[in-house]
Amino acid sequence: MTRLRTAAVAAALILSVPALDAYIKLGTRVGNSLIPIHWSAFPIRYFVTNRDVAGVTAPQLQQAVASAFATWGSVPDVSIPSQFVGFTGTAPLSGDGMTVVGFQNRPDLDRVLGSTSFTIDTVTGEVLESDIFLNSLFSWSVAAGGEAGRQDVESIALHELGHLLGLGHSALGETELFGGGRRVLGAEAVMFPIAFSAGNLNRAPRADDIAGLSDVYGGDAFRSSTGSITGRVTKNGSGVLGAHVIAFNPASGRMIGGFSLSADGAFTIGGLEPGLHVVRAEPLDDGEVGSFVDPTQPVDLDFKPAIFSRLVSVPRGGSASQIEVKVTPK
Amino acid sequence: MKPLLVVAAVLTLSAPAFAQSRFEIGAGVAWTGGFDAGGLDALETRNPSTGTSPLTLFGTSSDVRPAIGASARAGFFVTPHLEIEGLAEYGRSTLRTSILDDFEGATGSEAENTIATYVFGGSVLYHFGSGRFTPFVSGGAGYLRQLDEEGRTMVTGTEVHGGGGIRYRLSRHLLLRADAGVSSRDKAIAFEEKRRTLPVVAAGVSYRF
Repeated sequence: MTRLRTAAVAAALILSVPALDAYIKLGTRVGNSLIPIHWSAFPIRYFVTNRDVAGVTAPQLQQAVASAFATWGSVPDVSIPSQFVGFTGTAPLSGDGMTVVGFQNRPDLDRVLGSTSFTIDTVTGEVLESDIFLNSLFSWSVAAGGEAGRQDVESIALHELGHLLGLGHSALGETELFGGGRRVLGAEAVMFPIAFSAGNLNRAPRADDIAGLSDVYGGDAFRSSTGSITGRVTKNGSGVLGAHVIAFNPASGRMIGGFSLSADGAFTIGGLEPGLHVVRAEPLDDGEVGSFVDPTQPVDLDFKPAIFSRLVSVPRGGSASQIEVKVTPK
Repeated sequence: MKPLLVVAAVLTLSAPAFAQSRFEIGAGVAWTGGFDAGGLDALETRNPSTGTSPLTLFGTSSDVRPAIGASARAGFFVTPHLEIEGLAEYGRSTLRTSILDDFEGATGSEAENTIATYVFGGSVLYHFGSGRFTPFVSGGAGYLRQLDEEGRTMVTGTEVHGGGGIRYRLSRHLLLRADAGVSSRDKAIAFEEKRRTLPVVAAGVSYRF
């Protein structure tokens, strides 16, 4: 009974966004608090659906998923062990108590390569089960160097496993309108919601992904060795909801993003290296707003990207002074 | 009584005309040259189907502007020509990052922060001659500390310096002093870590006891 209740609530979780330390993390509301969802029981035990699709056998899918798990598991100072339990005839559906990754033919989702669903404990945020399907409507490949016209299983699995681990979407990417949809020009996060074109690989988490994962699973070493920037994004004196704020370290080239997730425009960007950062705010106009934040919120897209006038100094293990990034209407 | 007077007269003749005392203190202003601060561009991984080079979200070009500051010195003449001195310098400069070619045409083209530099060190000076104008050469080393305007980013390092200058005796105790040289520093608040050699010019007033 408890499990069924948590499963029913889980369906709405994907758009719940905890305003914690940076990134978009998936979360659950408990009273007035938003708690990020996370795994507490390790290793994460998962099954792979025993179903081949054109170009990819079930064992090849399992290898790609294991490799993607290992990639996330290699993030420094993070421990998220996983274990492949076995193949199953069960489809990747929520509520059966099994974490399953597999192909499903979903012609109704003709723009969705893959999706992740959860069953969680709505009080603690602990993930009890998570399922990932890759849409066999598309052509897939596990070729080491990619295969023209086919999506790379490991790249997409890496993205979906990021969700499984509790990460939402990153907005560190640029797109263009193309063929009735959006095409990625560049992205600096595997958690960007739009995949590279078929045939290309995206198998390495970037600074933004690593900061997000470390924020959920990192320990004291992560928090004591990194710092954060907090502040507000304002337009004509009022807060801007839904701005994407990037902190860029010119010394290392690392970029990490955060979001203003409240009406007063408040944001936090965490997981930053100590040192001076360039801060840039931009509207969420490189994808569907709903893929980043709750689209029922009055997200403001009517402002020009802006560079903050100061180099912001991030201390080790602490937060920079509050800043106000002023933007102007388009 | 007579022999003592003779000795005193000899000592007076052998010392430089202005070297009534072995101790000197001074203060002044100092200018330290700026430098390229290095730094990387904000790059995103390109979708290989749309190009080959990384996508530049925005470029950066950073430099540290020349610093203006103050210095204080205390010297001791080991011999009439050889002096050792301790020094303390403070300077303020601006680290400025220019934003270039923002992919979405972001407003705002610069971001900056004020850098405070402290140097505590010592020098050895050798003076030539003993007239009203006294040129000298100097060299030494120091401890370097830099802080950003909020005191949250800090670097510490060492510096070595060398150069020369001239003293001009205004009166029995008062002197003008001008220095020019270079300061080589192994650390700096910047976006690229490397040793930098900067020009330094200083001018001030000294008091000889």
